[in-house]
Amino acid sequence: MLVESLNLARGQFALTALFHILWPILTISLSGFLVVVETLWVRTSNIVWYHHARFWSKLLLLNFAVGVATGIPMEFQFGTNWGPFSEYTGQFFGNILGFEGAMAFMLEAGFIGIMMFGWERVSRRMHLFATAMVAFGSSLSAFWIMVANSWLQTPAGVAVVNGRLVVTDYIAAIFNPDMVWGVSHMWFAAMETGLVVVAGISAWKLLQRRNVEFFARSFRLALLLLLIAAPLQIWLGDSSGVAVFETQPAKGAAIEGHWQTNAPGTGANWSLLAWPNADTQANDWSIEVPGMLSLLATHSLHGQIKGLHDIPKADQPPMLPLLYYAFRLMAGIGFLFMVLAFWTAWAMRQARGHLDVLLAQRKLLWAWVLAIPLPYVAVECGWIVREVGRQPWTVYGMLRTEHSASAIAPAALTGSMLMFSAFFVVLLLSFFVFARRWLRTGPDLSLQPPQARMETGHAHGIDY
Amino acid sequence: MTPTSTQDLLSHAWFGIIGLMLLLYVVTDGFDLGVGILSLFRRRQEDRDLMIQSIGHVWDANETWLVALGGALFGAFPLAYSMLMTQLYVPVMVLIASFMMRGASIEFRHVAHGSKVFWDRVFGLGSLLAALAQGLILGRVISGLVPGVESAIFVAVTAIGVASGYSLLGATWLVKKTTGQLQGSARRSAVVAVCTTVLAAIVVSLGTLYFSPVGLSQWQDSGILHVLMLLGVLAALAFVYVLYAIFTGGEHSPFAGASLLFTVSFAGLAISLFPWLVPGKLSIAAAASNSATLTFMLLGIGTVLPIMIGYNLYQYHLFRGKVVLVKH
Repeated sequence: MLVESLNLARGQFALTALFHILWPILTISLSGFLVVVETLWVRTSNIVWYHHARFWSKLLLLNFAVGVATGIPMEFQFGTNWGPFSEYTGQFFGNILGFEGAMAFMLEAGFIGIMMFGWERVSRRMHLFATAMVAFGSSLSAFWIMVANSWLQTPAGVAVVNGRLVVTDYIAAIFNPDMVWGVSHMWFAAMETGLVVVAGISAWKLLQRRNVEFFARSFRLALLLLLIAAPLQIWLGDSSGVAVFETQPAKGAAIEGHWQTNAPGTGANWSLLAWPNADTQANDWSIEVPGMLSLLATHSLHGQIKGLHDIPKADQPPMLPLLYYAFRLMAGIGFLFMVLAFWTAWAMRQARGHLDVLLAQRKLLWAWVLAIPLPYVAVECGWIVREVGRQPWTVYGMLRTEHSASAIAPAALTGSMLMFSAFFVVLLLSFFVFARRWLRTGPDLSLQPPQARMETGHAHGIDY
Repeated sequence: MTPTSTQDLLSHAWFGIIGLMLLLYVVTDGFDLGVGILSLFRRRQEDRDLMIQSIGHVWDANETWLVALGGALFGAFPLAYSMLMTQLYVPVMVLIASFMMRGASIEFRHVAHGSKVFWDRVFGLGSLLAALAQGLILGRVISGLVPGVESAIFVAVTAIGVASGYSLLGATWLVKKTTGQLQGSARRSAVVAVCTTVLAAIVVSLGTLYFSPVGLSQWQDSGILHVLMLLGVLAALAFVYVLYAIFTGGEHSPFAGASLLFTVSFAGLAISLFPWLVPGKLSIAAAASNSATLTFMLLGIGTVLPIMIGYNLYQYHLFRGKVVLVKH
């Protein structure tokens, strides 16, 4: 029974986590994008920026709603399905989740009402402040969640007292070895998502020749920001990879299908493609580049990389092919964005600002449209690498997953799993229906900026 | 100060903070859940638009008190968090489901054309389910998670009590935010709800004596008994005040009275159960994290709590006044 409950609980966590993360990544980046757009509006008083703010914020609201709706099961699942884990880690992990709810999420939720419905009631500057608080709150939210998650990857600053963890050093626990890389890699992944979505939607509209001036502007702005974000993300990904090989050698070896620890003075081979097989403890086949893995993972020619052979089978991550290919897909998409961004920048430079030339680049624009789902795929793959790669531990090296789950009846878990699945399907479909309608309607270019009315005693409507 | 008394002080401070968060949650999300419940009874689309519009800018922040509360409970009292969530699996799942229904439908209804009625009903049903699930959780906690037919009846009463209490808050909120016919019907709903709420509260109070493993012993302490009696008198006054305010045409006072009624009942409950988190099973001392965690959390959450309350108040201030329908 317990094994069944454990697997059901794991399945439920995987489902809710993979579904939930789809939404906050866009909230984080789109709110940041709106800050940029609104700042331009406040600075230049150019009404185009106001229209941008109004148009893109509707997508944010729609997205935010689903994010909140799917985030609540995430938080409470730790208690319902992972009771022993919660008892063991509550003093740090629970504490950090508390920070997230109180500091970050509350900030976001408190100001999103003003951001969405307050255009008529506050001044431009106050509205910009509200938008900035939403953006700050959502990023802060990501920060605390990633602190909690990175601590599960590389726990630090704690000691076990009477079977429970006690924090001995908060600074060490928060700034655990994975934290800086975990936080920044995730934050840039979110940024890339929003920018690719904005650029992709704009490209779609440009292909249709709808509101060309408007969407050319958002396309350019997103591209400009992506030219900065995409290379930075590759650097961050590389750096966090190096950190993984240092702090979580089993995960590192698993994502690269690396079995044999290389002898001193030699470099470890890197498999470009392979099929790792846990049963035979070897790759069924592989295409290898000699000495390359040492270079990639340690940035030195002869850096030693621990192979899976030197890790007890019970401590090896499961689902090796999944890890292996999820990692490659994620990294590949990251490179693709950089190529796409620079290719487009080059094409636009050739065009010297002529809109017609941009519009004639139909292949390029189509590439952007087709790129819209890719950041989502990359983020999902990243989380699979991160979470499956940490197995068989919930707290790396300290608490095993099999000791973390509550003894909930399988029927109850199955029931809630079915309920979540049904809800997720409805949420996703509804979101698509409404997002499509929003997209078809397009921006309302006749919208006039409000004169901030602050006088009291008047009945005000709430402008949706 | 000895280490134990520091620990004592901190864990009690956290009991207080969590209690405050819970109170803020039940009063604020209580009224928007109540508005949702009442929307189930409105046929006219325009009425529902106004009702839901009156909570559109605050429901999210209101609900966040529960998220913050969950996190705070997890960090400060991990044992209680894990025990409650595991033991209350089904109502917690229902609660989560209802939040998902509400959260999605309130945003989707803005953009829906043909399916608006559907999303409105999902919103209303989600609100009702959330209130009932919370009542169920309350009843199970008071009765010390003991199974049985009698305690099931008790739990049913707390569920109805919470739902009607939230309806009272919702109805008085609508009195505050609307005019004309809608306000009139909100006044009538408030009269019904205040009576059922007080009735349920009396039954729950008596039931607590009988069912709660600690209720009776607590009430035998004369100091506590006096405080509880005082709270009872206050509750009675609040009840009368709500009725008086409704009948004399008060605009803001019914909501104030209902909030007072809630606060007083809440205080009575907290005093009756103190120092237990789960009566008879888990005390504050047994469930609390150690001093370092409690202190760190206090620095983090304790300092932002007033700021949180501050910008919530600002938001209420900003959207003050009656709602009027805005087409979009």
